[in-house]
Amino acid sequence: MRIDLLQGTLDMLILKALTGGPMHGYAVASWLQRTTDDALCVEEGSLYPALHRMTRRGWVRADWGVSENNRRAKFYTLTAEGRRQLNEESSSWARLTEAVSKVLHARPVAQGA
Amino acid sequence: MRWMKDRYHALRTLLRRGQLEADVAEELEFHLAMRTEEYIAKGMTPEAARAEALERFGCVEAYREETRMIDEAMASQRRLTELWDMVRRETRQALRSLARGPAFAVMAVLTLALGLGATTALYSVVDAVVLRPLPYAAPDRLVWLDSPVPGLAPDARWDLSEAGFLYFTREARGFAALGALDTYNGSLVADEGALRVDVALVSAGLMEVLRARPALGRLITPDVDTPGAPRVAVLGYDFWVRQYGADPRVIGTMVRLDDEPTEVIGVMAQGLQLPDDAVDVWRPLGLDPSSPPENSHWVRAIGRLKEGVPLEQAQAELAALTTRLPELFPSAYKESFMRETGFRTQATPLARHVVGDVDRMLWILLGSVGLVLLIACANVANLFLVRSDARRRELAVRSALGAGRWDLAWHALTESLLVCLVACVLGLLLAYGALRLLVALEPSGLPRLREVGLGWHGVVFAGGLAVLAGTAFGLLPLLWSGKDLARLRESGRGLTSSRQRNLVRGGMVVGQVGLAVVLLAAAGLMLRSYWTLHRVDPGLEPRNVLTFDIVLPRTRYTSYDEVNRFHREFLARLEALPGVTSASVSTHLPLRRFGGCAAMFAEGMSLDTDKQPCITSPAVGPGYFKALGVPLIQGRELTWDDLEQKADGVVVTKALADRLWPGQDPLGKGIRGNGRAPPYYRVVGVTGALRADGLDQPPSEAVFFPLAPAEGRPLWGPRRSPTVVVRTGTSRPESLTPEVRRILAEMDAAVPLANVQTMERVVAKSPSVARASFTLFLLGIAGGMALLLSAVGLYGVISFIVGQRRGELGIRLALGARAAQVAGMVVLQSLRFTGLGLVLGLLGALAMGKVLSALLFEVSATDPFVLAGVCALLVTLAVLASYGPARRAARVDPAEVLRSE
Repeated sequence: MRIDLLQGTLDMLILKALTGGPMHGYAVASWLQRTTDDALCVEEGSLYPALHRMTRRGWVRADWGVSENNRRAKFYTLTAEGRRQLNEESSSWARLTEAVSKVLHARPVAQGA
Repeated sequence: MRWMKDRYHALRTLLRRGQLEADVAEELEFHLAMRTEEYIAKGMTPEAARAEALERFGCVEAYREETRMIDEAMASQRRLTELWDMVRRETRQALRSLARGPAFAVMAVLTLALGLGATTALYSVVDAVVLRPLPYAAPDRLVWLDSPVPGLAPDARWDLSEAGFLYFTREARGFAALGALDTYNGSLVADEGALRVDVALVSAGLMEVLRARPALGRLITPDVDTPGAPRVAVLGYDFWVRQYGADPRVIGTMVRLDDEPTEVIGVMAQGLQLPDDAVDVWRPLGLDPSSPPENSHWVRAIGRLKEGVPLEQAQAELAALTTRLPELFPSAYKESFMRETGFRTQATPLARHVVGDVDRMLWILLGSVGLVLLIACANVANLFLVRSDARRRELAVRSALGAGRWDLAWHALTESLLVCLVACVLGLLLAYGALRLLVALEPSGLPRLREVGLGWHGVVFAGGLAVLAGTAFGLLPLLWSGKDLARLRESGRGLTSSRQRNLVRGGMVVGQVGLAVVLLAAAGLMLRSYWTLHRVDPGLEPRNVLTFDIVLPRTRYTSYDEVNRFHREFLARLEALPGVTSASVSTHLPLRRFGGCAAMFAEGMSLDTDKQPCITSPAVGPGYFKALGVPLIQGRELTWDDLEQKADGVVVTKALADRLWPGQDPLGKGIRGNGRAPPYYRVVGVTGALRADGLDQPPSEAVFFPLAPAEGRPLWGPRRSPTVVVRTGTSRPESLTPEVRRILAEMDAAVPLANVQTMERVVAKSPSVARASFTLFLLGIAGGMALLLSAVGLYGVISFIVGQRRGELGIRLALGARAAQVAGMVVLQSLRFTGLGLVLGLLGALAMGKVLSALLFEVSATDPFVLAGVCALLVTLAVLASYGPARRAARVDPAEVLRSE
């Protein structure tokens, strides 16, 4: 069973992937797949609108370069802005998961008891 | 040169729409190819590997499309920022470059601002008066109804009769509604005393015709628009705000209007007025369908055509209905009357009725300021040329260094656009001021004046002109930049001005002189026209006379005796004032409201054979002609004895006496009004020729009746709203106003005083004089500006040519030419330009004369004095403009010139 991704989470994952240095889209996809053991239900195509949107916002920079097998490919580099964004998103993600797990582990109390 | 590269970059991005799409496709394809290779490496067949890769990827088209849209949005955003940066950079650069030659910038901006301001102001007037539709819903469906009576006077138009209006309202199928109206100056008693108010009496139908809506309460509806209904009033919006502070509680209260209690039932929507009259108070007209039909035409009528009914159809219907009048109302309309007067009823588009023939004058004026703008543009173009000349070497060097034509064009364009836009803003300020001034001056005879102002139409107009001019100025110097480059390559020095350039310059000066001739000729013709008009003897002495209107409340002045008593005491108290020679009253005032005409019958004329004269018939008090300074050539004035004994004496004008009783003694002759039975009034006096209808009109025909009708003659109501004329011994008769106000307050505080003005002012504001002075004023300004601008243009070009020919002049002087000869050559050059301009200008003036002739009074459009005067003026100008340059030419030092060659 593969998990659907929450809205906006994909951006964070891509930014995280790019912390390792400039990558093209295929490398990002492969890294995500390897890292999650293919547990996420993401169409690979959806990476590209996300990458371009982040380029427009200035979180990543796009440059054409040459891939490991000598083909023209577009490489994405994390900008300072993007790094800030990643920090913000991952800390709020941490708060969210913490809060959710607190709720899930708590014992429910009946109203008016 | 970084800015240049940036610009190319921006330009390239503009062309890169297709590139974006290809990039995205390539990026996605790379992904798919890598994935496919991975699967093939794992042992799949190429087909299966490709299918699996696509499966993992999702819908390729959808993602490609989404990604491309993001890229496009990004690109256009970047383009915008780049464009903005570029504009800022260029503007800064242009400002810096203009600041290096501030005299040039100031001169160009001021010249253009004057031209643009004048043109925009005039355009705004034309727009408000002629072009913009009337401020009502579906205004093109509105028509004015009136009756031409060509048998009486070719241009006479009668309003409708009460019976006629009601009959058309009942029968005419082509109209959605018909409305009737009449206006008068009423009085309203407020806290601060009696106020004069503009009252409109209107039928309920008019509300429908104008599609009027109330701002508050209700409007005039059929139930209040009947004779005998309680008195009600609807306040005009502006009046409500001004007088009642926009207090809604005014609805339902009683006000004293014309000294009678009147209930306020509503407030009219903001901005709704009569087509050419501001209205303070609206009241029901209350036409009475049961009153006996009369051939008396006082009902002004506006109709709204039904949707889909063309004007011609409504006309035809009115014509058919009008022919039935004698059959329906035999006591009012006789067949002979219809036949002899040519009486019919016509519908005119309301806009044309309101605007009349003013549009012609306005277009002419707009045309003339347009010419001034052209002359101004020629001057500015010359300034730009001279400037670009000074920078030719710089430009040539730049283009040699690889700056393309576009780069140079871009530079020049930003600079000239900047100059034009600053001039535009300044011009708009000028136009705004000029329009405010115009509205404040209230030139009479200009309809829809209260709609005149600087609106967005004017702003767009000025902006458009500025951009057009800016582009033209910017591109002008480019015509030569290629040639300059070639020349730079050839010799590296001595960029001699090409013939082509001088041709353009000379051509512009010749054109300027030509346009100036046209404008000055127009101004000159108008000036002569105005003089001629001023020399016309009005037949009265307007100096030292004060005139004003009063309104006696209907309730307390019901009988002739009461009205006469008031007038007699009032006039006696006025005459007792120090400095007052005489005072009198009349229902009409020459040159202000002398209109209206009624059929008159002279004794001994047969109804069937003679045309009935249609004559203005004012009612006057004793001493009227003395007060107004109208000489009597025969007989005497009416006296208080005449009035009190109800005697039957009348005074006629010479023009009428000459027509009715040529070669006979008019004294004692009989005359009576409109279609009624004898007895006749008897002529006791004859005035000199009196031009009461306008100085451009023939002497008026009029019968001056006594204020109260004579015994046994048909009655008219007591004259409660007369105009008073007071002759004084002082040249400032208006200084009497406080005294007049005091006397009125002592006699009856409910009588308002209105329209206080000197008789000289009345003459100046009479339509023919007002129009002539308005046109003369504006044409004079246009002509003066044209003269000044062409002088500057001529001076500039001659100076430039002298500067260019320094070498040649120096050689001539060295070879023994005398200084005077050299100076003469320069003056001759100026005269050559002017002569050519004169020839073109005179041709233009002849063409213009045809258009202008409608505005002229007894002056031929080809008046030789005016044309000769204009030519003399311009030749003088040509000599004066070349005086400075000629002196400089004569002082050229040959030795110095030879050294520098």
